[in-house]
Amino acid sequence: MRRQLPIIVCFGFGAFMLIQFFIPKRSFIFAYENVLDWMQIIYVFTLLVGVANYIKINSKKVSDKAKGWGYNLIALLGLFSMVILGFAKGTDQGSPFLWMFNNLQVPMQSTMFSLLAFFVASAAYRGFRARTKEATILLLSAGIVMLGRVPIGEMIHSSVPDLANWILNFPSMAARRGILIGIGLGTISTSLRIILGIERTYLGRE
Amino acid sequence: MKIDRRIIFVLIAISVAIPLIFKIGLPNKVTKEVKMVYDSIEELEQGEVVLVSFDHEASSLPEIKPMAQAILRHCFSKNLKVVSFALLAEGTAIGDEILRNVANEYDRKYGRDYVFLGFRPQYTAAILGLGEDLHRVFPEDYKGISTSKLNLTKEIKNYEDISLVVSLADGDLPTYWINYAEARYNQRVAIAVTAVMATTYYPYLSSKQITGLVGGLKGAAEYEILINKPGMGSKGMDAQSVAHVVILLLVVLGNVSYFLSGKLRK
Repeated sequence: MRRQLPIIVCFGFGAFMLIQFFIPKRSFIFAYENVLDWMQIIYVFTLLVGVANYIKINSKKVSDKAKGWGYNLIALLGLFSMVILGFAKGTDQGSPFLWMFNNLQVPMQSTMFSLLAFFVASAAYRGFRARTKEATILLLSAGIVMLGRVPIGEMIHSSVPDLANWILNFPSMAARRGILIGIGLGTISTSLRIILGIERTYLGRE
Repeated sequence: MKIDRRIIFVLIAISVAIPLIFKIGLPNKVTKEVKMVYDSIEELEQGEVVLVSFDHEASSLPEIKPMAQAILRHCFSKNLKVVSFALLAEGTAIGDEILRNVANEYDRKYGRDYVFLGFRPQYTAAILGLGEDLHRVFPEDYKGISTSKLNLTKEIKNYEDISLVVSLADGDLPTYWINYAEARYNQRVAIAVTAVMATTYYPYLSSKQITGLVGGLKGAAEYEILINKPGMGSKGMDAQSVAHVVILLLVVLGNVSYFLSGKLRK
């Protein structure tokens, strides 16, 4: 029953969400609106599971004094201080929570994101080689798009931005469309497999 | 030829820092996709409602903020009403601050001209729910005031009362706006995304599933030209230009040394 019940629930709700789209009756709309509310409630509980898991893993590393346990301790302190400050002093303007968010979290995350530029530059120098015909085409396309997407490209030649846009609008988009259609078909087949109970990996191991 | 990675890091740091300190002022050309977003806002009548969704994390703030400011300035300068919220938790505080600051520039009043509704988890359910009843998805705004009591939101039932949705995103959330709000409710959707995500949305642009696309700092700089308000986007483009040239020169240098070393081995 531990496996059958989730499969029955999944089939019931999956089939309902599919059918309700084609039946604009008041009762179906009412049920649909309720399902949307439940989705949000369930999602909040999954957040709680995530937080509990985060605390469990980090606490274990701290108590075991595993390698780099200091970072785990900082991670836990960060989590608890934000939660405590948020509940105790609120999240309005001028609150300690918002101060920590604006002056710690935002700069730290922006720094991590910005570091990409340095690693991309280093990796491009060491790894971006015209070793084959395909790699050469990729290299040239990347160079044109990089120049065409910044004002200096226009200064080099007026057709550079147009060429960059052509690459984005035609070859790149054709490949992207193919990927999107593939994703769409894959999503439909996987959804049907889950609704019909063929795909059961989401239930975990036996 | 091997260049120590630290030298590359220093080169990039200098190429980004100098244009930010000493403004070069490189000319920027407005692209069709950015003009489409501008036009879709420009054609709205005074008092129409634009929904701005902050669908991003804190890490992408340097790219998202100039786009958000430019689009919001355009909306407020045209006397449009702005309803805003976040579908990713980190966008909440950021969205609230950006919206409030830009609204203050134009002396707009909270509750009458603009409203910030806060964060809703499970974006699929939130986007679909807005097609049925906004008050059910957001019974209260970010400050805890009932949305049925605020002058602006009490008049809004669902997408039928919203003229345009603008998703400011650093990931694939605009796809959900397209799949659910546009496809199911025929809601007009414009998107402003980080440069790295922009290519993902070109197919939706040509299929007219989005009304326009603002991509990264370049898109922000172009939008600033259109509204005639230079800001952080224009400033950032100088730095990005020089950084791109430095990276390309490094790639050329790497390839030249690769071919030379190959010939030497032969």
